Amino acid sequence: MKREQEPKTAPGGAGEAGPDGMAERALVPACPKGRPGRLQLHLLSGEFDQLRDFPIFESNFMQVTRLGEVVNKVTMGVAASSPALELPDLLLLAGPAKENGRLQLFGLFPLQFVQLFVHDESRWQLKVKFRTGRAFYLQLRAPPETRDREFGQWVRLLYRLRFHSAQGAVPFTQEYSWLEDEEDEEDQEDEDGDLMEREELRDMEARLDPQSSELWGL
Amino acid sequence: MTYAYLFKYIIIGDTGVGKSCLLLQFTDKRFQPVHDLTIGVEFGARMVNIDGKQIKLQIWDTAGQESFRSITRSYYRGAAGALLVYDITRRETFNHLTSWLEDARQHSSSNMVIMLIGNKSDLESRRDVKREEGEAFAREHGLIFMETSAKTACNVEEAFINTAKEIYRKIQQGLFDVHNEANGIKIGPQQCISTSVGPSASQRNSRDIGADSGCC
Repeated sequence: MKREQEPKTAPGGAGEAGPDGMAERALVPACPKGRPGRLQLHLLSGEFDQLRDFPIFESNFMQVTRLGEVVNKVTMGVAASSPALELPDLLLLAGPAKENGRLQLFGLFPLQFVQLFVHDESRWQLKVKFRTGRAFYLQLRAPPETRDREFGQWVRLLYRLRFHSAQGAVPFTQEYSWLEDEEDEEDQEDEDGDLMEREELRDMEARLDPQSSELWGL
Repeated sequence: MTYAYLFKYIIIGDTGVGKSCLLLQFTDKRFQPVHDLTIGVEFGARMVNIDGKQIKLQIWDTAGQESFRSITRSYYRGAAGALLVYDITRRETFNHLTSWLEDARQHSSSNMVIMLIGNKSDLESRRDVKREEGEAFAREHGLIFMETSAKTACNVEEAFINTAKEIYRKIQQGLFDVHNEANGIKIGPQQCISTSVGPSASQRNSRDIGADSGCC
């Protein structure tokens, strides 16, 4: 079984976050600097007032199986529900609607209940795992000339999320016993037993940092 | 596809009462007996026809588990309708309704239409909450009430559509300011509000579903 890789420290990575490091980075990797991505455009379309103004870092992916077989298109973004946040706090997933193929928002998930891993760096694949145990694999869709850079931005992001989590004294990757799961694609029972209640949720206030750079210096 | 209005709905209630199953039955017309625990919010959308008007329902299916509650309640804002769901086979889910209702009232528009839903009506032999109790709770708190089964699809369409009818009725009565986004209503692209609604539109359209098909 392939193990998720620890994210590598990259220039401008966790611990070096700051306004200086982000000035030359693209804001939304799927698009040239300054142009909103597909997901952001969707949220700006007028149907999601509450999500309209979120700063978003997004990319287009193919959902693949653990072995790399293509399943469908996904656009994944991370967003901050407040510009004052030091790091994104939400994960957004969207994909083509069944009826017309237009981008449709599927879900909005607090990042404190989601883990991101590098699944296969050579194939630009990430693994997204919910705290319920549900997981899926995403392979970056980007032009060859920008793919490595864009994937690197995701690696830096997940490093920072992990680093930030570690500041809470509980390492992000070791927080839950199911981390080293044997198989993720099996559906979990929707148990009423309070899975989440076993963990004391971290204080969301701890993420507030008005001095933070926008879009997390990626 | 164009629409006259978009209504934002939220689905709330204890974990395991069938909120996600109701949404799936309404949007995809299928039932999934085992469903992942919802984290955060999952979205669904469907067009319905009310009085000859196309209305898009944008549905926010929220996590019911207590641990997520403080997060999901921030998404109540701007909802025009709420489906407040309990499980007729689990008394505690009915007992918690007051708390859910307080949350809903506190974090959303006072005009929000709330449909109380006793789900899992197919499990009559395991019933733990009488229909009359649901009706009484709804009457006491000014809610609409239906019993549904996401499994058999009984009354699922009706629950969503009757909520939309009530919202639409409130728009016609001028109780909802459709230009105030906090009310969870948006006018569709290229719709002219002055001509899209009139008192005569309150007549029930023959294409609409009856108030209660009586299947449950």
